[in-house]
Amino acid sequence: MTEATLPQPNFFQAKKGIASWIFTLDHKRIGLLYLFSIGTFFVVAAGLGVLMRLELLNPGRDLMDPQTYNQVFTLHGVIMIFLLIIPSIPAVFGNFALPLLLGTDDVAFPKLNLLSWWLYVIGAFFALGTLVYGEGSADTGWTFYAPYSVKTGTNVTPTVLAAFILGFSSILTGLNFIVTIHRLRTPGMGFNQMPLFVWSLYATAWIQLLATPIIGITLLMIVAERVFGIGLFDPSIGGDPILYQHLFWIYSHPAVYIMALPAMGIVSEIIPTFAQRTIFGYKAIAYSSMAIAFVGYFVWGHHMFTSGMSGPAGFIFSILTFFVAIPTAIKVFNWVATLYKGSINIQVPLLFVLAFIFNFMIGGFTGLVLGSLAADVHVHDTYFVVGHFHYVMFGGAVFAFFGALHYWFPKIWGKMYHKATANVAFVLLFVGFNVTYFPMLILGLQGMPRRYYDYLPEFHRLNMVSTFGSWIMVSGLIIMIVNLFVSWKNGAKAPDNPWNGITLEWQTSSPPPLHNFDKMPELPEGGPYNYPNAKSYQE
Amino acid sequence: MDNKEKNAEHTAEHEHISSYREHFGTWAALILLTLMTVFISTFGADLRTLTVATAMLIATVKALAVALYFMHLKYEPKIYRAWLIVVMVLFAFFLVMVILDYITR
Amino acid sequence: MEHFVLPNSGHNFDAKSSKMGMWLFLYTELLLFGGLFLVYMLYRYANQDAFLLASFELNVWMGTINTIVLLTSSMTIAMSITALQKGNNKLAINLAWFTILAALVFLVIKYFEWGAKFDHGYFPGMDHYNELPHGERLYFYLYFFMTGLHGLHVIVGGIFIAIVIKRIKSGHVNKNRISLLENSGLYWHLVDLIWIYLFPLFYLIH
Repeated sequence: MTEATLPQPNFFQAKKGIASWIFTLDHKRIGLLYLFSIGTFFVVAAGLGVLMRLELLNPGRDLMDPQTYNQVFTLHGVIMIFLLIIPSIPAVFGNFALPLLLGTDDVAFPKLNLLSWWLYVIGAFFALGTLVYGEGSADTGWTFYAPYSVKTGTNVTPTVLAAFILGFSSILTGLNFIVTIHRLRTPGMGFNQMPLFVWSLYATAWIQLLATPIIGITLLMIVAERVFGIGLFDPSIGGDPILYQHLFWIYSHPAVYIMALPAMGIVSEIIPTFAQRTIFGYKAIAYSSMAIAFVGYFVWGHHMFTSGMSGPAGFIFSILTFFVAIPTAIKVFNWVATLYKGSINIQVPLLFVLAFIFNFMIGGFTGLVLGSLAADVHVHDTYFVVGHFHYVMFGGAVFAFFGALHYWFPKIWGKMYHKATANVAFVLLFVGFNVTYFPMLILGLQGMPRRYYDYLPEFHRLNMVSTFGSWIMVSGLIIMIVNLFVSWKNGAKAPDNPWNGITLEWQTSSPPPLHNFDKMPELPEGGPYNYPNAKSYQE
Repeated sequence: MDNKEKNAEHTAEHEHISSYREHFGTWAALILLTLMTVFISTFGADLRTLTVATAMLIATVKALAVALYFMHLKYEPKIYRAWLIVVMVLFAFFLVMVILDYITR
Repeated sequence: MEHFVLPNSGHNFDAKSSKMGMWLFLYTELLLFGGLFLVYMLYRYANQDAFLLASFELNVWMGTINTIVLLTSSMTIAMSITALQKGNNKLAINLAWFTILAALVFLVIKYFEWGAKFDHGYFPGMDHYNELPHGERLYFYLYFFMTGLHGLHVIVGGIFIAIVIKRIKSGHVNKNRISLLENSGLYWHLVDLIWIYLFPLFYLIH
């Protein structure tokens, strides 16, 4: 059927009532279910972060005792990593936008998709439930290192089971996306005509699929050891605690690429739209996503340089770590080249993307410092590491998430967000973020250890600066969230294509109908971002 | 519904069907290899590393037989074999690095 | 109101997608067990004599019979698919039942093997276990963990095949729609594959 039929109601109107959401098979609704659950847990974990920064405002005890502090930073990490960043972009924007970008009406396995969300919610209850009974939530750090994790009396087992369940959710999402991308592309869209966000979701899905089972089995080993009292990492029976670290990081390093790749995909999506020209070096960016995913499997030992791992192993891991920086750099060059002499439209999504590039570069360079075996010995387990990963995960991945939130806001809700307020929120977030985390890089180099509830007086000044930064950042966050809610209710009606985007989702209404398209979507000629009037790169 | 059924029939006609004979032959080979590996282990010399290597080699041949014939991998699109190789390469790297670390500590 | 339907709609049943999904899931299972195999390899390397000694507790003949049972069941489920593809539903069902029967035999033998170990106190935490030297304790810990997880998969696989038999009887799974049977077969072969490695590693150390 090639003619348009009567326009359908949009996907919000198609069915009503809570049951129609909780039992939905519509990828767009599932994406929003994730958005609200993830958003809720993000606020909880951010609150924990604010509490930590309050405790660190001054040396000595401010708010809580050391044991509580350990539990706070553990839960902060567990929520941020397993409940926020790992699912975030794939689960929210992958679910919402992937079928639209491919020109299809849903993912390959809609019921499995719903199951993924239910598993997510169950995992969240397991993790958060640990707060309310027994000795309280785990105090091991989100890394659950043996032997402490098998001996401590806090609620490690449910936390670890939560991570296992969440891992399953992640695996099923990855599986779903791989099959969707292989089988459901619109006719005429080969792999090299897919939008770059799709490439990034594809590369990410392979990491979700293949890396997660390793941590799954490792967490089961921890549970078994706690249950039976003796176990595989117990030195008293000849077990090796470093083996735990190997198994843990074999997943958890690729996991950081689960966090970073979709964010880079968002950047690759937003830049062409706000430069109104095709991306520079499409294939380089596409293949670099696959390269990052692949090389990312071979570098996990750089988390273990000071663990007692052997010198030769450390040497190998350090060299391999440097390789993974190369495809990332290629992306940054290509993004900047796309912007150069483009027809720039300064909008909030682009601001977040520019902030991403700035923050991710700092995070990336500090990552190289950590990847150098000799330098790492000096900064391992200091605030340098904390600064590094917040730069890439928060300043990078979460900022990209915020960018996507604003980019697809009109498409999802059919309303425009209030621009001036969004700009204010952005400035507060960007400034606040850097004031919070840059001092940590310095503190780390000066020797302040991480996961300590107290510190030496000489670190006081920069800790105060960092805590003040966290207040600026949080105000930006609050303004952004309130702005989005208010705009959802009262915003101006959004057109189908507010940004003059050229990928397929902009060819349908805002919000889209239940089955995504009312007529056959048309592929842009020559490539997914081929703006017909843009200046070519050859001139 | 009509189109879907026609489509399914069409696909079904062009799919390779493994014969009962092929499956039986695979089974026979597997049983033979199993008996061989038990024999080598029970009556073979105490060759330590070589014993493990031989056992793993035979196990891998058996695994390949199951994968290629019983699981139809020989007749599936190339990409499935490619993916399986990627999985095996990853696992091999994990194994090698963990053991390498241990023996050089 | 009729709505526009895309040619590449995700709501159509697609046999190729179904098969791809199953294979992808199998890769995750391979890596799940892979983690345990990795731990086993390391600890065996570090405790070669202890692992050898401990392995004498296992009965090679029971292990060999179980191996043959599983290999045969792999053949029968593969043949069941052939039968269904040729339109011989009755044969397909009978072969599938045989596969389930083989699974039960496997589990019964396993039950006796485990039972013997329990009686002698070899399960982690039991008296005899606690007196063993380190390497042997690691061996038995891994033995119960790995064969236990494998046994769980045998049970799941058996249930999966039982469901498929029901679906063949109801006509939902048929010559033109073999995916569910095919996928249950793939899962069953995975169970077989894991045992192909478990057997020599635990039973045939010498």
